[in-house]
Amino acid sequence: MTAIPSSASNTRQRPAWLQHWSNWLFLIPATIFFVGYMIYPIFRTGWLSFTDYRYLRQGPANFVGLQNYTYALADPLVQTGLIRAAQFTLVFLPGMIAFPLLLAVCVDRVQNRFLSTFYRVVLLIPAVIPGPMIFVLWRLMYNYEIGPINHILVDILGIYTRADAPQWVGNPNLVIPAVAIFEWWWGLGYHTMFFLAGLAAIPKDFYEAARIDGASEWQVFWNITLARLRPIMAILIVLRFGTAMAVIDEYLIFGGFNRALPTYTWTVYMYELAFQIGDWLQGYASAIGWLGALGMLTITAFLLWLFRNRDND
Amino acid sequence: MKRIKLPVGTLVRHLIINFFVLIILLPIAWVLLLSVESLPDAYSGNLWPETFDFTHYTYVLTKIPGLPQNLSNSLLVTFGSVVLTCVCAVMAGYALTHLRTPGKSLVIGLCTATLFFPTRLLSLIPIYEIQRSLGLLNSIWGLILPYVTLNLALSILTMRGIFEQIPGELVEASRMDGCNAWQTLMQVMMPLITNGLVVLIIINFVSAWGEYLFASTLTNDSSQRTLIVVLARAFGGVGAFSYPRLGAAYAMVIFPGVIAFALAQRLYFKGLTEGAIKL
Repeated sequence: MTAIPSSASNTRQRPAWLQHWSNWLFLIPATIFFVGYMIYPIFRTGWLSFTDYRYLRQGPANFVGLQNYTYALADPLVQTGLIRAAQFTLVFLPGMIAFPLLLAVCVDRVQNRFLSTFYRVVLLIPAVIPGPMIFVLWRLMYNYEIGPINHILVDILGIYTRADAPQWVGNPNLVIPAVAIFEWWWGLGYHTMFFLAGLAAIPKDFYEAARIDGASEWQVFWNITLARLRPIMAILIVLRFGTAMAVIDEYLIFGGFNRALPTYTWTVYMYELAFQIGDWLQGYASAIGWLGALGMLTITAFLLWLFRNRDND
Repeated sequence: MKRIKLPVGTLVRHLIINFFVLIILLPIAWVLLLSVESLPDAYSGNLWPETFDFTHYTYVLTKIPGLPQNLSNSLLVTFGSVVLTCVCAVMAGYALTHLRTPGKSLVIGLCTATLFFPTRLLSLIPIYEIQRSLGLLNSIWGLILPYVTLNLALSILTMRGIFEQIPGELVEASRMDGCNAWQTLMQVMMPLITNGLVVLIIINFVSAWGEYLFASTLTNDSSQRTLIVVLARAFGGVGAFSYPRLGAAYAMVIFPGVIAFALAQRLYFKGLTEGAIKL
């Protein structure tokens, strides 16, 4: 492939393969960062996971085989941590697909130019607010004393009294939905844009033809809109599955290192082991990280297989 | 019958949209309101204050020691990493579309694979080591380096999507005119990718401006901290960060981005339609 000369007249005398490799000059800056701060660290974590490395001991890392992994598999904190992450993912994922989809179908049909731009800009506002700031905002929203959510529930609607008002962040049963709600709020506009891009790609005469054939609105939505959006939906489900299972910033800001709360998942446990407690057991923490990542990859592969494109074959 | 049915559908549609628009706007409006409430009002929990107090903004900027320093730290690290990421992504995106680069599909495959992998989590421990051996631990300048990788893969794929929209004949033509690859990029391509670049800058600005995990792990002194870390750790309620003051600091952190986005939205949406939403 590299030996085929380009169609343009190549006046230079350099051999073709050298000329093509010289194009790698354009990839060098990206490669330096990519390898130095992503590829190498991930493999280094893989190596550390087979050692007894403790950061504060200053000693060399000794190879211990699969010991860390057998410990991790039997560690109740790892087990509950993974289950908690999966529970959050199950609560979070359906809303992250359904709400933007509903919204996109509505916004797509807005004819008025100004309104349609206005809606898009407003919906995207949360997407330009940095993640941790979303968490700070919603920690205030959920606040027991001054938060507007409880103010509305208690003083305006009168559903609860001051004494039994829901403790959104402190109550183990409520904190997962609470986190899911603001994650939906955060991602609503961004994901709506994906669906809008998909909707814009559906030829309008598809709808016309279906309506002429007497299809109901519901049939049109089900057989044309949803069917055509399936690839986008599949990719969003897989991507968001990956982010939801590996959430850490939200949990650190919301629940800290409180092991009783459902926000203490495997990611937080890994972080606490690596940077907070004891001798910083980074070897063991690495094993937990890779264990979680491998589990996630397995399910990701399964999802990709499930959503594989059946139309082409 | 159809004449009656159509407006109902439109009405329901706009009701749904406006419901979501309200849900988006109310929390932001509330935090703005909080930032101008007097202290007693803020603690009463009432939605509309009895007396307004606009001094919280000046208080936050002048009376909280170190906060201006944190703000300039945030600006520095964000600016540095956005510029570096964009340079890397533009050059890489160009090489992956319009040049005959060996191993193209491998690079693209790797970039895509990282999107499905918890890269940030698994690279944190060795990055701590790297920063320590480079003497960059606890340094705001050092933070720029890991920040570049936050969104690098997505940026490269985005840029590739944008370059794909530019016809290859343009590259051929400029090569015929005697431009080398670099000149083609700078003189022919750059003017054509500005809309896509706006999308790229916004994406990277948001993630660098608000990064928490690396910033809180790799820096320790309050003089090296970014504003985000300080705010995320300021459990409001007492002292310097009483609720309205937290609200004021909050507004100052999020509104530059929101306003910049509102101003650049025309370019942003053009960029989206030009292929920036590839993934």
